[in-house]
Amino acid sequence: MNRREVLQRVAVLMGGVISAPAAFAVLNGYAKEPGPDWKPAVLGEAELAVVSRIVDIMIPRTDTPGALDVGVPAFIDGILKDVYSQDARDRFLQGLRDFDAAAREAQHKPFVKLSPQQQRTLVQKSQDAAIADERASSEHKQKALVQEIRDAAMLPQRTETAPATHQRAFILMVKELALLGFFTSQPGATQVLQYEAIPGAYHGCLPVNQAGNGKRWAT
Amino acid sequence: MEKNTFDAIVVGTGISGGWAAKELTEKGLKTLVLDRGRMVRHGEYPTTTEDPWQLEHGNKPTLRDFERQAKQARTGYVVTPASKHWFVDDIDNPYEEKYRFDWIRGYHVGGRSIMWGRQSYRWSEMDFEGNAKDGIAVDWPIRYADVAPWYDYVETFIGVSGQNEGLAQLPDGKFLPPMELNCVEREFQGKLKDKFGRAMTIGRAAHLTGPLTHDQSPQRSSCRNRNMCIRGCPFGGYFSSNASTLPSAQKTGNMTLVPNAIVYELIYDAKKGRATGVRVLDAETGAQTDYFAKVIFLCASTFGSTQIMLNSISDRFPNGFGNDSGELGCNIMDHHLGAGASATVEGFDDRYYSGRRPNGFYIPRYRNLGKEKREYLRGFGYQGGASRAGWSSLQMATELGEDLKKKAQAPGPWSIGMGGFGEILPYHDNRVTLDRSRKDKHGLPTLSFDARLRENELRMRKDMINDAAEMLETAGYRDVRIVDETYGIGLGIHEMGTARMGRDAKTSVLNAFNQVHACKNVYVTDGSCMTSAACQNPSLTYMALTARAADHAVRELKRGNI
Repeated sequence: MNRREVLQRVAVLMGGVISAPAAFAVLNGYAKEPGPDWKPAVLGEAELAVVSRIVDIMIPRTDTPGALDVGVPAFIDGILKDVYSQDARDRFLQGLRDFDAAAREAQHKPFVKLSPQQQRTLVQKSQDAAIADERASSEHKQKALVQEIRDAAMLPQRTETAPATHQRAFILMVKELALLGFFTSQPGATQVLQYEAIPGAYHGCLPVNQAGNGKRWAT
Repeated sequence: MEKNTFDAIVVGTGISGGWAAKELTEKGLKTLVLDRGRMVRHGEYPTTTEDPWQLEHGNKPTLRDFERQAKQARTGYVVTPASKHWFVDDIDNPYEEKYRFDWIRGYHVGGRSIMWGRQSYRWSEMDFEGNAKDGIAVDWPIRYADVAPWYDYVETFIGVSGQNEGLAQLPDGKFLPPMELNCVEREFQGKLKDKFGRAMTIGRAAHLTGPLTHDQSPQRSSCRNRNMCIRGCPFGGYFSSNASTLPSAQKTGNMTLVPNAIVYELIYDAKKGRATGVRVLDAETGAQTDYFAKVIFLCASTFGSTQIMLNSISDRFPNGFGNDSGELGCNIMDHHLGAGASATVEGFDDRYYSGRRPNGFYIPRYRNLGKEKREYLRGFGYQGGASRAGWSSLQMATELGEDLKKKAQAPGPWSIGMGGFGEILPYHDNRVTLDRSRKDKHGLPTLSFDARLRENELRMRKDMINDAAEMLETAGYRDVRIVDETYGIGLGIHEMGTARMGRDAKTSVLNAFNQVHACKNVYVTDGSCMTSAACQNPSLTYMALTARAADHAVRELKRGNI
């Protein structure tokens, strides 16, 4: 199967909710443009379709390009392959299966077959719960550290990272990679945010609209 | 033999070696400069112009990177596609650690002067007097007045931007214009002064914020505020050996620079009572060569120089070169860090900045000055900064789709954070030894570290965290959060002390001019010479001591004393 066939099948799996050009962009390269024979290395077609749909919901094309336009799904596949540990990869894939299973349970359909509105609702619900969970975990850890320091005359030398008490939910893993992939892409950095390769001067206190074009700096 | 004979040999081309090369060649000595790593000429910085989208995986390290550079990766920031090539492969360059120990380094011409943090602070009189006053370790054999003119000299040559503040604990210097604090930092500076009587100043950084006051460094130009310094700077905006001292040495015509040259031993002539040269292994071919000179400068980094000395065994020095005192390899120091606090700042929504200032603010040490007596000796300084959140803060935003993109476009909320750099006392038992049973790929014995924080540092850390939180809370900032990160000695990349200077050959390795007590034609001028660590970033002091030692060496040669 060549790249064109992969994309056609992904577009079909995505229920036709993305346009053909956008579907092409699903497999657009990121830092390195994949060749015509590119296939996802880690994600299966159905998995790629789910990830593609989620990142499109998170960062759609508006008057500026979106996650699919810059090839975030291919970027995520590359991270899963080269950057994630086996354990993190397994958690991602299991999280993806659980996410799809939740869609089936709630709506009796796989995620990609839901209506765009249903998909968005599911992503929002999943994300809100995961953010609340992560905030609570972070607060809990901070309180424990404050308590520990208050009670101690001296602190231990911490040589090892404490075992994780909280593991990032699938939806926030996708979001983390979508943000990374999108905002380090040229369109994300230069059209949505602003980027200056060689600023020259530093000005420490400007009215926002005089700090370049006033948008958030990409770096 | 003749072609391998020089007036001087300098081992290493980092911060110290570059200075030794420049000073010795400018004073007319034919100087052989050796580096164990590959050649890097100024400008040969492979990733220096890459934009974010040109770096693979969003500049995240791969699993393979983590495997090859597991110890370097403990820093959390150096092993990335943008900068990993400046850091060693830990599989090829192994060491042992009894307690977590972070030896973070790069083997190439220029050494860590390419990737250093560029913060440049003088030691103060109280730092040089501290050991004697506190009865700690041994007394420094020098005082501030001995080094002050050399601080002037090196600051003027390299260009240090900063603000004179008239503080006893952080002497003023010869500065280029200071970089600018941003609005929030300026406000915080005022609050610290009003509510705590504590000083805060813009970091003193070896960046050109204006023209140098000399014309000897045409390859240097003004800092462009890219903040990509760790990749190497094609503008020569900050000081590195490659952009500064090595070109000066080259220009004299007196330098012979040989890369891929691993010095593994000093050659000692017992009859003459002096070192006659160094033994070198070619890193690529394994070929062995001996080089000879009247004077030798070891500037191979703290543990690099110590490793060479420990490996230089003779009848005269059975326990390592110049190691009559037994202190060689002992007294490892660093700055302990990773303890501090951060907060959200409300207001200033209409203010932003432009440019990526490669610097932050500095709060000089204020603990245990004058009559104050904390539960520990010495103190810490803070380095920090304020900024508006970048895109990664969107991770915890609940918006999706168009709303998320809108939120992304507007500058994020202001936050401010700071972390302490704490002094570590010199403990004899914090030490490194040579393990002759474990060899590296060149067949050379490797180092084994046994060093950890002790009570003084661990008590200090509590203040580093509490004080940071208290200052931010008192300034009225919200959601103050404290941090106490993992740390192994070395993580500060300020390792020092394993061939310390001292007044007495029985308790120290080097004298007041960085000469080996027992062999006066060997000078050691990198971080290994330090008798105490203070809490200021140490590189500027290495430069000053190196220039001072080179001046001494040339005068001693002329007098026929070495």
